[in-house]
Amino acid sequence: MPYLPTSQAYLEQSALLLEAYPNDTRITTKYNFPSQKPAKQSPPDTPSQTPIASLTLKTYNPTSGICLKYRTNKGAEVGRLITSLGKLAGGANVAALGLSNAAPVAQTGDVEMADAPEEGGSAPVSAAAKTEGNKAGKGRKKGGKGKR
Amino acid sequence: MAPLSHEEFFTSLTDLLSKTSQKSRGSVYLTQKPLAGTDSSARPSILIRATDGNTNAPNPKKNKVEKQKKSDSKVKLSTVVAPEDLEGFYTRYAEVCKGGMTGLKKRDRKKGKAKAKGGAKTKA
Repeated sequence: MPYLPTSQAYLEQSALLLEAYPNDTRITTKYNFPSQKPAKQSPPDTPSQTPIASLTLKTYNPTSGICLKYRTNKGAEVGRLITSLGKLAGGANVAALGLSNAAPVAQTGDVEMADAPEEGGSAPVSAAAKTEGNKAGKGRKKGGKGKR
Repeated sequence: MAPLSHEEFFTSLTDLLSKTSQKSRGSVYLTQKPLAGTDSSARPSILIRATDGNTNAPNPKKNKVEKQKKSDSKVKLSTVVAPEDLEGFYTRYAEVCKGGMTGLKKRDRKKGKAKAKGGAKTKA
């Protein structure tokens, strides 16, 4: 049950897990305050001791037993995280998440996309068309975005 | 429990989050998963659940069987989101969570001010 270091890594890995097991993977978002000793409750008027809550995101798949987690306590991240969870719920893959252009963490199985629109795409960039390795990668990403 | 409409769900969730934040204790659990039972060819609806993590079962560590107060009983909310409603739902969902989760660290004030300034400049 690893905690991933960045939200981006968490979202990318979660997207891959959802892609692999779309039907029984669930995402839990926990908003919680640190537990306090009930015996020593501080008086109500001590704002200086206000505990800082944390937000834990967990993606879990019972079939494979894979569990991914990310924890934060920054309020500024909430909106972006929830919006991303919405994209995941809609079946977005890694490329469609719209995160930074970091290379995919793991190569997915369906790398070969022979039916990528090569002819249409390569017409305006005939000079760059020689670098076939890079092009194939780009085409795959775009194809995935449109398809799913 | 029967799923609520989106409107009811958001109202109750706002309430639950703000109460938790005010008390500065306790948890709120939100889960999302595809709703089972729909045919696999179509994109499934998403089931959203929210609970306060309380359990109605007696604590096994306590030997005494205490009767729990009504206010201690578990809060359970759920709603179902159709695939075509996902975007709109999550926009509001994010707003509700942003507004309700006030116990998290606030954004750095200086940064916020600098940003506000920049925004004003570009507008003028």
